[in-house]
Amino acid sequence: MKLADKRGLETDVYQPAEDSHLLATTASERIDDGDFVLEVGTGSGYVVETIADETGARAIGSDLNPHACERARDRGLEAVRADLLTPFAASTFDAVVFNPPYLPTDPDNEWDDWMEHALSGGESGREVIDRFLTDVGRVLSPDGVVLLLVSSLTGVEEVVERAGEEGFSAVAVADESFPYETLTVLELVR
Amino acid sequence: MKESLLEILCCPLDKHDLELEDAEYDDDGDEIVSGTLVCTECGERYPIEDGIPNLLPPDMREGTPA
Repeated sequence: MKLADKRGLETDVYQPAEDSHLLATTASERIDDGDFVLEVGTGSGYVVETIADETGARAIGSDLNPHACERARDRGLEAVRADLLTPFAASTFDAVVFNPPYLPTDPDNEWDDWMEHALSGGESGREVIDRFLTDVGRVLSPDGVVLLLVSSLTGVEEVVERAGEEGFSAVAVADESFPYETLTVLELVR
Repeated sequence: MKESLLEILCCPLDKHDLELEDAEYDDDGDEIVSGTLVCTECGERYPIEDGIPNLLPPDMREGTPA
């Protein structure tokens, strides 16, 4: 069974779900008017739009998926098609927000649609998160923060440890339990 | 994309600045609808289509499902 079938019908762009709501609400409480914010993997654009509306921050979205970039742009948001943080200049953002693909996935599972890119974090569930953590310090302003959504399926402790290796200390600023997983928003600061 | 976005973008390969070429603007003139972003160092070219800059490294542009 493909991941897309497990989560629903949409196969082009991940639609806002419980994780999106938790991240949007938590980020909006912690981001200030005048901040410059990047949401990586913006998907439908829901989180970045909520942050912009609720806080008055300038918030832009990036995604690997061209359909996601189009949806974000249709919401009137600035969108960039990008592989994670690679095309963003150093010391740019006051906050970087990310609801990553985090589901541990059988390595034999083929990458055959966009939804799988949006959901799968490789065998460990942390492959995309690890790549993100390696580079995110570069694009943050000196006092910048990361707001990262992680699931109990992904392993919160492992993510905290990996962030520590990149010089971040992590605090859980929100969590919410569901039948199959607990979602946590980690705030990473240096 | 707004022209101001250019200040915070860089070449995904070598992190050097990008230069805007062949820009076409919307009717209000405040948004770039199409054009090309060119790395000032390596010369790699990145297209802007329908207002969205595509800054994927060249080897990733084709390798993803449509």
